Amino acid sequence: MTELDRLDLKGFVTNSVQRVFQTMLSMSLTPGEPPPRERIADGRHIVGTVGFAGAVMGNVNLFVSLEFAREMTSAMLGVPAEEVGGEEEVKDVVGEVCNMVGGDLKSRLCDAGFPCSLSIPTITFGEHFHIESKGWVRQERLGFQNSRHPALLEVYVKIST
Amino acid sequence: MALKVLTVDDSKTIRMIVKKAFQPFDCTLIEAENGVEGLAAATREKPGLIILDITMPVMNGVEMLDRLKADADLKDIPVIMLTAESGKDNVVNIVKKGVRDYMVKPFKGEDLIARVRKILPLAERAAEESPEAKPAKYFTQIDDIIVLTLPAKVTRPVTVEIEGSLQSKIKEMSEASLKKLILDMGGVTETNVSLIKLIISSIQQCQKSSIAVKLVATPKQGEELKGFQETSALSVTHSIEEAKTAF
Repeated sequence: MTELDRLDLKGFVTNSVQRVFQTMLSMSLTPGEPPPRERIADGRHIVGTVGFAGAVMGNVNLFVSLEFAREMTSAMLGVPAEEVGGEEEVKDVVGEVCNMVGGDLKSRLCDAGFPCSLSIPTITFGEHFHIESKGWVRQERLGFQNSRHPALLEVYVKIST
Repeated sequence: MALKVLTVDDSKTIRMIVKKAFQPFDCTLIEAENGVEGLAAATREKPGLIILDITMPVMNGVEMLDRLKADADLKDIPVIMLTAESGKDNVVNIVKKGVRDYMVKPFKGEDLIARVRKILPLAERAAEESPEAKPAKYFTQIDDIIVLTLPAKVTRPVTVEIEGSLQSKIKEMSEASLKKLILDMGGVTETNVSLIKLIISSIQQCQKSSIAVKLVATPKQGEELKGFQETSALSVTHSIEEAKTAF
């Protein structure tokens, strides 16, 4: 078993996601079974991604419906949902949430002896698309639920060769 | 003279949250979205404080910090890092470069202000120009109880205005040993996210100063509050008299 296998990625990232949503959006998320992607990706949805590279490589993908993304934006900016502007604001908020979760994980990996750098977030936005990452040593799929919407977070990590 | 604060972050959302945090104070906020723009703004504006992210396109925060420290005109400007990266080695290396503080996201605006106050004095806006001085109309006093009456429509600007004025009012209350506040939302015509956030932040502000709060809402509003996770557990009274008795 490698040092990477021993890391409690699931526990760490779950805690991180809950903390980010609670602090920045005043929103409680309950961890649970990861929802099937189709449940989120059925209509228009948005995927925030950050990557890290160095002694380990990896991705963090956050999948939410457009409706949930707009609710997140409303909460983070402190504006009523109807005052949320265009797509740019929504993308910025999902990207920033992803950046905070990814940054937290990257820091944990660095502290565990896997120095790496974080990428800036990228956003994929639309409908009828799938994002898949392959060839990773560790993969975690984490489900969350607020009062109305599910969210899915996928984490992929491997040691660089 | 107003303190110039330069916030450098590629996220407009974060810049907005930083700006909002400084709103009650006599500060001018300058924004930049990467290290190149940040350096240009620092050279041009000579800010009194820089709030700096790390992971940004074009030029990251560490490179900007290095360039700031290498510039004789800019090296003494206090810098607070505000970043999602918290790895120990990373923090130690950056602190060694001479930053005044290192704050990890996620963060609350009030926590940022508390950190800033350890470095610099922050003057509240003068009464005549303070956005929170005008809405004194929201506050009345009944015996030893302050009543905060929310307007019919609570929008984001109203929330910012009331949060700022509440901060000042709490200070006044502490000086006058007043420890009870009624938050009256009975006249609000629409229950929206701004209202929910205002209720939560008001209660939190009061709790920090050991001020007891009672919420007055109509029965319909009480039901609506239950629909929001953040306010679902709040107990509600239906009149000022009922709230007074409940203290």
